[in-house]
Amino acid sequence: MEELLQQVTNGLAIGGVYALVALGYTMVYGVLRLINFAHGELFTLGAYLGFTFLTSAALGPRLGTGWGLLLLALLVAGLVAVSGALLERAAYRPLREAPRLSAVVSALGASIFLQNALMLGWGARFQVYPDEALPTSAVTLGGTRVPVVRLAVILVSLALMAALWLFVNRTKLGTAIRAVALDRDAARLCGIDVDQVVRAVFLVGPALGGVAGLMVGLTYGQIGFTMGWSYGMKAFTAAILGGIGNVPGAMLGGFLLGLAESLGSAYVSSAWKDAIAFVVLIVVLLVRPTGILGERVAEKA
Amino acid sequence: MTRGLVATAAAVVFALAMTAAPFVLSTYWVDVLDSVGIYALLALSLNLILGEAGLYDMGHAAFFAVGAYTTAILTTRLGVPLLLTLPAAALAAGLFAALVALPVLRLRGDYLLIVTVGVGEIVRIALVNDVGSLTGGANGIFGIPRPFLFGLKLRTPEQLFPLIWGAVALTILVFHRLSASRFGRQLRAVREDEVAAEGSGVNTARARLTVFVLGSAWAGMAGTLFAAKMTVVSPESFGFWESVLVFTMVLLGGAGSIPGVLLGAFLVAGLPELFRGLASARMLVFGLALMVMMVVRPGGLWPRRARGAS
Amino acid sequence: MNRFVALLAAACFSPSVFAAEPIRIGLMAPLTGSWASEGQEMKRAVELLAAGVNARGGLLGRPVELVVEDDGGDPRTAALAAQKLASRRVAGVVGTYGSSATEAAQGIFDEAGIVQIANASTAVRLTGKGLSLFFRTCPRDDQQGRYAVGVLAATGAKRVAIVHDNTSYAKGLAEQARAGLAAAGLTLAAFETVTPGERDTTTVLTKLKAAKPDLVFFSGYYPEAGLLLRQKREMGWNVPFLGGDANNNPDLVKVAGKAAAEGFLCLSPLLPQDLEGPEARAFLAEYRSKYGAVPGSIWGVLAGDAFRVLVKAVEAAKSTEGARIASALKGSVKDFPGLSGKISFDGRGDRVGDVYRVYRVDAAGAFVLRK
Repeated sequence: MEELLQQVTNGLAIGGVYALVALGYTMVYGVLRLINFAHGELFTLGAYLGFTFLTSAALGPRLGTGWGLLLLALLVAGLVAVSGALLERAAYRPLREAPRLSAVVSALGASIFLQNALMLGWGARFQVYPDEALPTSAVTLGGTRVPVVRLAVILVSLALMAALWLFVNRTKLGTAIRAVALDRDAARLCGIDVDQVVRAVFLVGPALGGVAGLMVGLTYGQIGFTMGWSYGMKAFTAAILGGIGNVPGAMLGGFLLGLAESLGSAYVSSAWKDAIAFVVLIVVLLVRPTGILGERVAEKA
Repeated sequence: MTRGLVATAAAVVFALAMTAAPFVLSTYWVDVLDSVGIYALLALSLNLILGEAGLYDMGHAAFFAVGAYTTAILTTRLGVPLLLTLPAAALAAGLFAALVALPVLRLRGDYLLIVTVGVGEIVRIALVNDVGSLTGGANGIFGIPRPFLFGLKLRTPEQLFPLIWGAVALTILVFHRLSASRFGRQLRAVREDEVAAEGSGVNTARARLTVFVLGSAWAGMAGTLFAAKMTVVSPESFGFWESVLVFTMVLLGGAGSIPGVLLGAFLVAGLPELFRGLASARMLVFGLALMVMMVVRPGGLWPRRARGAS
Repeated sequence: MNRFVALLAAACFSPSVFAAEPIRIGLMAPLTGSWASEGQEMKRAVELLAAGVNARGGLLGRPVELVVEDDGGDPRTAALAAQKLASRRVAGVVGTYGSSATEAAQGIFDEAGIVQIANASTAVRLTGKGLSLFFRTCPRDDQQGRYAVGVLAATGAKRVAIVHDNTSYAKGLAEQARAGLAAAGLTLAAFETVTPGERDTTTVLTKLKAAKPDLVFFSGYYPEAGLLLRQKREMGWNVPFLGGDANNNPDLVKVAGKAAAEGFLCLSPLLPQDLEGPEARAFLAEYRSKYGAVPGSIWGVLAGDAFRVLVKAVEAAKSTEGARIASALKGSVKDFPGLSGKISFDGRGDRVGDVYRVYRVDAAGAFVLRK
């Protein structure tokens, strides 16, 4: 029983990261119907930027704790957002009216390009966040120690999801985003500036990915240039599981995938972990072909 | 009319160049061409599924793997001559595709895409975990014997070249005829507008299943040739990345267009080799090249006449 | 007299040394992909040594030209890299890292009559195929498996858990160790898998903890080992860990943090800092002055050894022909003073001698050799 509880906590903490990455994925997908394969690399970029700031002599000591961390998150989010916007301009905007899958190939190219740029920029060896920057406190839950940072991941992803939901549903820009997601041409006819909406989406989505990267760095310490590939794939799976294009769905999908992995690995076989996660996905899609919350795909960004 | 002439001329030039290739190129480049040829087979078979029928299949490596492992197991355990395993590889991959298709082909678009990714991963993990003690786990199976053709043992890249590119030529002929047939028209109808296709009497479910099984069986036979070339098969050769590469070949060249898909295979499998001089930066340049090519020619480099993919 | 002739020859030929056609030596290494950091260290070590050979007048009076090819760490790319090296007519090849990449390449080199000396491909079967031109400067997995069981028994542990990462190398080593447990009077508490590249290992750790082992043997690579150690400490679980020889990298301590890494035991050939002998000291000093630090992992040094022993064999054979180099490696090259100790090869191309040691990570985060 204690072990089960522990595994559920593990699964939720893993799922929290998937959910965070999936939020940015699903946001972009909702508006552009584009599988942004480079989202994983923007996530990695966030992790590396966090590393660079924390290890810089001038900024590191001030950003490492308390409010400094919040500032650091904003800094990373901002820089990754700008990179995302540049990526959109270079690789996706020229393809907006092109056949849908052309943009997928461009996204794959962008992903390969960014991954190798990260390797050339920061080196092929993985980097490790400085020890003093990593939060060490833990709380005891159900008899086992749970590091605070893991709970923080879960809470941050819930908070960001709520903020994103409010942004999409309660602001003017959010309404425009929903309109474009629903029908781009009709939205344009109503006087909505589609370019502006897409720009906004490509600022918010990558910013969320960047923050997720930073959270992974702070949780696990170790970051590497190839990590975006597997996290990106997991996040995409999570987004599909929840119903892609749907903000609460991405969240739900992320947590479910994390749970499937930890429970599958604990009670079936750790060697089959990823296969179990995909079997869960296939079974869910057989029952609900557009994901768990998928029927509202067109309404939400 | 002129376009037809250009295409015919290009085909003749290409055929002549490929015939001359093993005599004028170094062994290394012939080997690169052998590798491109196997990818061309995979890309042409995926083109049926993705280009002609519009089914987003990003797990093609799974069927490639089933074929390659079927050949590896039959040759090393039962001593079956390698080329005689071709039908078995096709059958195994085709049956597996049918099994997968029954539940999965009901899905649409990106949902189908992620599920085929999942199938690919499940197959890879099953191979790593040595299912039924047949696949050799992460080590894979080594010591696959070389094929014999007309009593000659095919060992060097130059000797394998006619076998691989002969298979490519045959595939082009068969798929070209298929595309022009009634079945080809049905597939395109399914891709463009499923409801309309259904309305005009096409059994869309059957058309989708048939093309999925056919394309996958073909990938299985490409697996046989891969096993012959490498003499060792291991799960790493059939990961997600391989599916992505083949998917990219089809779309880069122009979905539904046979010359386009061939071109895609040449570029995606060949460019990283051309960029070898750049050492650590070679994949960076390759990624950039993919983006630029797509932005410059969004419909593919050599799209099919009517229209590119939807 | 001999020396006089040699001096005379040198005097006659040295002005024209670099006009002679170079001897090409290939290096196959994972310059991209997951093991890029190991591959780039291999490249650094071998480039440094090649420059040294040229500065001393070259090889057989000809300059050495290094031809470096990327194998990406995967078999398909490796096969193409091997074919490329073969078509450049290299006299011999150094590398590579991964066993599956070597597997895909060794047949091609053998058919082309080129000697290959791998530096980190430890899979047993590589030397079991009767390829007469294949050698390696690294030890074999079964040696390590036997050694690991001995070390496990010596720790006094009774229940042992084994964790691998499902790669060909790690799973092989894990199975070798598992097979030996019973004979050494040990019981298997758990046999689990972590996924390379994933950062969260808490699920597997929780499962292991429930199996109550006295000691955990991890046969995978250092990035995952570091994560396991860090997260084990975060869970408040104090079980000793023993790692296989892919964990002997200082980055392990970086990942785990010093506090969590302290006490970690690790099997390894001698690490760069413990290398003895004038050759090793000179090499390390040069390496440090050129790249600013000593090599992080032993595998780059073993690539250097592969290069040096290859050069030695070409000199001994006075030929760049594969068969002659191979017979020199198996014959006259005995107890060659390598960077990593004395090098001799047996008839299969395996390195002779016992190379494994046990290291322990101390409180300062350093790998300390246990005497």
